[in-house]
Amino acid sequence: MNRLTVSQRLWRLCCSLKLAIVLASAATLFAIGGSLTIHFHPRIYGNLDTTPLAQWLLAASRDHAGEIWWLWVTGVLFLLFGLNTLCCFVDWLIHINLRWRKLGEYLIHLGFVLFVGAFFWGSLAGTRTDGVRLFVGALTPVPGNPGTYLRLDHFEPVMSDNGRPLDMINQLTLLRGESVLAETVAKINHPLIYKDLVVTVMSFGQSAKGFQVLIPNLGMVELVPGQHLRLPGGGRLEVLEFLPDAVRHRNQWTARSERLVDPVFRLRLTRPGLEPWEGWYPLREEIPFPLIQAGVRIWPKQPLFANYSLVRANRDPGAGVALAGGICLLIGSLIALGSFYRKRSRGDRPEIV
Amino acid sequence: MLAHQPVILNIIFACYLAALPCYLLHFFRHKRGWRVLAVSAMLTGFALQSALLAARWLEAGYLPVTNLFSTQYFFSWALVLTYLYFDVRYRVGSSGLFVVVINLLLLGSVLQRDPEIPILIPSLDTPLFTIHIICSFTGYAMFAMAFTLGVIYLINRYIPNKRLPDPVVLRKLNEEAIFLGFILFSICMIAGCIWAYIAWGFYFSWEIKSLWSFIVWLFYAGMCHAKFIRRWQGTGYAWLSLLGFGVVLFTYLGIGLLLESSHPLE
Ligand code: HEM
Repeated sequence: MNRLTVSQRLWRLCCSLKLAIVLASAATLFAIGGSLTIHFHPRIYGNLDTTPLAQWLLAASRDHAGEIWWLWVTGVLFLLFGLNTLCCFVDWLIHINLRWRKLGEYLIHLGFVLFVGAFFWGSLAGTRTDGVRLFVGALTPVPGNPGTYLRLDHFEPVMSDNGRPLDMINQLTLLRGESVLAETVAKINHPLIYKDLVVTVMSFGQSAKGFQVLIPNLGMVELVPGQHLRLPGGGRLEVLEFLPDAVRHRNQWTARSERLVDPVFRLRLTRPGLEPWEGWYPLREEIPFPLIQAGVRIWPKQPLFANYSLVRANRDPGAGVALAGGICLLIGSLIALGSFYRKRSRGDRPEIV
Repeated sequence: MLAHQPVILNIIFACYLAALPCYLLHFFRHKRGWRVLAVSAMLTGFALQSALLAARWLEAGYLPVTNLFSTQYFFSWALVLTYLYFDVRYRVGSSGLFVVVINLLLLGSVLQRDPEIPILIPSLDTPLFTIHIICSFTGYAMFAMAFTLGVIYLINRYIPNKRLPDPVVLRKLNEEAIFLGFILFSICMIAGCIWAYIAWGFYFSWEIKSLWSFIVWLFYAGMCHAKFIRRWQGTGYAWLSLLGFGVVLFTYLGIGLLLESSHPLE
């Protein structure tokens, strides 16, 4: 019998079915144990689905190395298992003229290799962002995709008879600068997909955008950022900013929360021949003196709300490869199914090791 | 047909219940008539169950598997389909009766439930969901069959009995059930991954039920290989079928009962 060289023996080990079973069993056992830890430590693992794995592992290893080590081990085992399967597939390719009948089985192996590769790629190079708020008409930068923006052209929640939210219709446009990259009506199970970016709808909400106020001589007006009011006598009042809940640090106001608690406007007043005034108007306090001086009285009547849609924007460069893996697996499964019965009817038994 | 659902359900249950003693009598007496009766009762029950499933599907406009009643009903249908495949094709007879018993338990527990079809919520309104569910339950049914065949193999091994099928036949049927289950479960996983991607933006979730489904899949992928290793053939394989079904039961029932999950119905 021919003696095998070291490299031949090494290659045999890499393609070995027994090694595969050892690696797969070890990975399965770690996954079983680990999945229970995930369940009982929601504080540690709560954001595992909303962060790319590599980023999550690095961050969690800093504070919880003692709890999450199993994920590192499982990851390494899977990587080795994937490489083992790849070697097994390559070995089949090398001997394809003798073993082409195993096409189905080896497409399944290729599918698995692609899936594992895609998962590692996505975990290393992907980005995930939960809770991106889109307001109708506004351009919102896509996190993780510099230069691209999402525009919500139309939004409509769909409610059931008893008022429960059922779906969310989002007319979405993805832009880079002025050019439109993709347009779609996104709703549940219908995301916007552009290359490796997938935008899925999550929820919707309301946030206070300003106030309806009564200003003598002008009547009822809406004070919302961007609004310009012409005052009698030629002056102009401009709304620069609105914070629904703000706190004062010295003479500056900073946002505290999204709820309507301590609302504050930042206004600019310009009058012919006078220096413009720019300052804060906290609704719970007196009207700022420059406004009184200009004869502007403001009576807040009711808050104004804007609907927003909440979406998730994930980028996964491996998603296409994972899909290719899934397709290989599916086609391989169907071929393997056919050949299973054909081989059996011919009494063709595989090699036993 | 839908107006008489409770009555039809009871008839289906009665058919399967009647098949059980007929199979047992055939096992002990070996008279052909008992087998003909048993298979006829099973086929009648299955024909009625399929017709009711089809009527419910037509009425709803989607495969109704979105609440506890309908998932159990569908799982029961998949179990009988699997059993009939093995019995009509290979005459496993009483060797597969455990599957019929699980089916009776499942169907028995839905008899008291409200069969009304719930409205379809948009997140389940996708063909991916239908494929995912059909393949997961038919896959589980195959794994239940493999479990039964494994148990009979082990009984035959430790307490040999001439009435039981030949161990070589049992081994081959067990390998077939595992292979078919694995293929079906692979399709279930592919559909589930694509669905997760379009619904959540990622195709693999660390949510406990998804993770355990992956573990089930990996376990049975391993079993598809174990038959190529001499030491694992036969007895080892039968024990693995038992262990695998334990993992399936934990995934299907254990997680729902002991832990919470976002997949409460499967
Ligand atoms: C890690 C390395 C792996 C090795 C070395 C390996 C090796 C093998 C071998 C030698 C066969 C037998 C082909 C034949 O002669 O009929 C086989 C079959 C098979 N493998 Fe793998 N495999 C590996 C991983 C996987 C994985 C990860 C999967 C699942 C995705 C998988 C699924 C299958 C299936 C479904 C069959 C067909 C089984 C049957 O005919 O019943 N394998 N594999």
